[in-house]
Amino acid sequence: MRALLSLSTFFFLPRALLSHYRRHPLQLVALGSMIVLATMLWTGVSHLTSQARASLDQSEQAVAERQQVVRSDGRALAVEDFVTLRLAGLCVMPWLEVTPDTGSRIVGIDPLAAHCFSVGAGASQALDQPLDGNPFVDIYSAASMSARESRLYLLTPEATQASDLPPAYRLKTFSTSPDTGELGDSFLLNLEALGVLVLLITALLLRSVYLLGLAQRRDSFALLHRFGVSPGRVQGWLVLEILVLALLCVVPGVWLGRWLAAGLGSGFGQALDGLFDIPLYAGQGQGWLVPVLVMLAVVVIACLGDLLLLRFRERFTLARPTLAAMATTLLVAGLVLAWLSPALLWVFVAVALVFAGAGWLTPAAVAHLAHWRAARSRDPLAQWRFRELAVLVRRLTLPLVALQFALAMVLAVQALVTTFEDTFDRWLAQRLEAAYYIEVPAGADGRKAAEWLTSQQAKVPGLQWHRVIRGQAQLEAQGNAGSQQVDVFTVAPVGSLIRAWNLLDTADEPWGALASGEGAMINEQLARRQRLDVGDSLYLTLGDQAQVVPVLGVYPDYGRPVGEVLLNAEFLPDDFNIRFESFSVTPGEFGIAPVTDALVEIWGVDALTFRDNSSIRELATGVFDQTFALTRAMTLLTLILAASALLMMGWVFFSTRVWYFRLLVVWGMQQREVAGQLLRLALMLTGGVAVLALPLGIWLTWVLVHRINPLAFGWSLPMAVYPIFWVELAILSLVIGVSIAALMRRQLGKPAIAPASASALNGGER
Amino acid sequence: MTESLLAVRGLGKHFVSGNETVPVIGKLSFTLGQGQSLALTGRSGSGKSTLLNLLCGLERPDAGTIVICGEVFEAGGTAALRTAKAWSALRRQRIGVVFQEANLMPALSLLENVRFRARLAGRDPAKSEDWLTRLDIGDLAQRYPDEVSGGQRQRAALAMAFAMEPALILADEPTGSLDRHTSDDVTRVLFDLQARYGCGLILATHDAELAAGCQQHLDLGHSGAV
Repeated sequence: MRALLSLSTFFFLPRALLSHYRRHPLQLVALGSMIVLATMLWTGVSHLTSQARASLDQSEQAVAERQQVVRSDGRALAVEDFVTLRLAGLCVMPWLEVTPDTGSRIVGIDPLAAHCFSVGAGASQALDQPLDGNPFVDIYSAASMSARESRLYLLTPEATQASDLPPAYRLKTFSTSPDTGELGDSFLLNLEALGVLVLLITALLLRSVYLLGLAQRRDSFALLHRFGVSPGRVQGWLVLEILVLALLCVVPGVWLGRWLAAGLGSGFGQALDGLFDIPLYAGQGQGWLVPVLVMLAVVVIACLGDLLLLRFRERFTLARPTLAAMATTLLVAGLVLAWLSPALLWVFVAVALVFAGAGWLTPAAVAHLAHWRAARSRDPLAQWRFRELAVLVRRLTLPLVALQFALAMVLAVQALVTTFEDTFDRWLAQRLEAAYYIEVPAGADGRKAAEWLTSQQAKVPGLQWHRVIRGQAQLEAQGNAGSQQVDVFTVAPVGSLIRAWNLLDTADEPWGALASGEGAMINEQLARRQRLDVGDSLYLTLGDQAQVVPVLGVYPDYGRPVGEVLLNAEFLPDDFNIRFESFSVTPGEFGIAPVTDALVEIWGVDALTFRDNSSIRELATGVFDQTFALTRAMTLLTLILAASALLMMGWVFFSTRVWYFRLLVVWGMQQREVAGQLLRLALMLTGGVAVLALPLGIWLTWVLVHRINPLAFGWSLPMAVYPIFWVELAILSLVIGVSIAALMRRQLGKPAIAPASASALNGGER
Repeated sequence: MTESLLAVRGLGKHFVSGNETVPVIGKLSFTLGQGQSLALTGRSGSGKSTLLNLLCGLERPDAGTIVICGEVFEAGGTAALRTAKAWSALRRQRIGVVFQEANLMPALSLLENVRFRARLAGRDPAKSEDWLTRLDIGDLAQRYPDEVSGGQRQRAALAMAFAMEPALILADEPTGSLDRHTSDDVTRVLFDLQARYGCGLILATHDAELAAGCQQHLDLGHSGAV
């Protein structure tokens, strides 16, 4: 009996505490939904990020710098070379890189030959990859694939010396793709920053909903205290309560986040593939434990942080002017750091500082402004509205700041995506200026086709064309002892199809100089990485020939990290290793059929591979849209969440003041007039948030376009602002305001009771 | 006999709770002359607050007629919108209402509250400070409601009510939340001002001593029937 009694005594406290949610079930639902959504959004981003990190790590490991054997005469390697080297007693492993007709790059390796690498340190581990097509397969499968491009490499352990090689061969560093390490990290850092921002916004919302409930429960806590329950015991139960709730909501949230990541994964995979030539390996995201633990910690800290750190807070409570000074310092420091920082990480730190400063300053500044306006207003209703606005801003600080951040984020991301879309579209239009793109078949002579097209040019009105040769060169940068491989993109003739390209920086008459072989142009990535400007000299090794050419111009080249040099194809040395050759043709009145018929005859092939450039453009635009689907989805979901939270919190808070709004009716205003006043008040509140989000959003756009993008991806975008987004977001804010006012109008019609809480009895909140 | 400020005839009000109809006020009739005071007494739930709400148009009667400040309101009579407008106009300019608590806008100072009420009524807001002085809280004019005591807040509420120069004041247990001493103090001020400015007063109260200070007495008992 005594045991039963003590058990019921033990459980009376949680029952008393939970009775709040029995009375306000919607608050519990809102809190739970907020935890689920916050977990879902963060887990979604974080799962994709860890998948991408795993993919990049695996790729880095696979293409870690090794050495290879190449022919001294520069010709491509064949199976006979493998046989020769093996017969000479050398350990070599074939690495067959294949680009299939459809899909991403595949690498065929021979697991048996890889055995000899186990003698060397670490290299065998790098080659110990699953042969599942991501991107490694058995060399037999790769060799039997229908491919548009394939290339054989022969890798050899580091222990192999040049003197061990037969005379026709030499050693060379092996690296099949550009060094994506730094770029990959930047890309992931971007994603992680997005994830952190989403987490911050959702944590603010979560905290606001929880603190609202806590404020309503304060009287119950005081009562329990009077009944002899210690505050520590109440706090213990509160921690347990939020932990149980968090656990119940975090688990489905993580599941939903993984589902979201799977849904967005295809677009994200294409982004990764497009940016770094690395496919996204599904199923390698993070497990369940980390997100569950992280979210539990976030929920407990967001909800109960200040309760648990009460003593600390009491000791370090700062006066309001000190806080304002601190917030201003943070803001200014962030702005300066964002402007001057040379490293991506510091730019993110700067963004965090600016957001922290703005988040602290905004509500205080709005409240201050509202008081100032109230003091100068002669209209009593306007004075009342401004004073109420100051109260609302202070009481709704967290959801307002969360909405401000979400609006700024959406503004910036939308501006970035739209700028990118516009710029990319224009850039693609320049790159695909010709109507058709025709590949030169293996073994065919591109020069003969060029001669035939030259002969037709005078006869066929509107015929435009140029020949494109692609390959690679070694670039030795000025004052830099090391050299690096760069892509070489050459065209001839340098005609109207290319002269319309936009250049970021240019010498006088650059196209004329390029046509006469007096220099080269470089892409933005190369210019940024090597700090090259127009007029600088490029030390290039094309084939076996070293050349020094001046930089004539810098052109934009979006969506990839590789450095590229643009040259006139007519001035390429004969021993230049052509990796790929094609023609860009606008047939004019000719039509494409006579051109392809003639080329089939010249090259003596059965058929040609040629593409309509408009379809390529369509495909590229589709890939682009997919690339930003993740960012768009995340930002929009966060905005919707923030908007719903403000709507809910606004309504709840307005409801606590319904007595005072009804005083206006008692004092002789009609309900319609009071509803109008509430509408103006709600619009001032949400419209103010939109206005304050605007400078933050524009600044964030600038940071993304001019600071983060060049540091992360190697290319910049023009800074553009889109007032239409401002209008859209302003309308959204006003819709939230109108919705709050509409809900309040309903409340006004119901009888109100005088405020019953201790604080309200003292005259209400102000 | 003084001129009639308020005449109530056959007033009835009921509430519906589930399937049950609960009568609150039943066939109530009384009159109040200019400058007279009336105490409304009765147990909790007897309908005192409901009657005050009916007398200022915050609730609609189910039966009867109210004639107040020359305006006639019949249950189910005049079009609802016009009635609402007429009641609003009366509350704005002729009827002051004082509740037991929370009579002030919390975000406005005491002076701003009085000015606000005066301006809504179309009176000169410049006299607002005088009103606070007359109620002995002139030095608290710039304070906010949560910075003064309960008695001082009720004095401010009275200042607001008188600043609109009303014809009738409806006070719903205005001293209910105050201690005896403060309650006596506020009551004295209320009666003094009512007598000095000649407005009518209807005072709902549990307090017999307070009720005794009024010229008329109306006991609603426990059912609302007189």
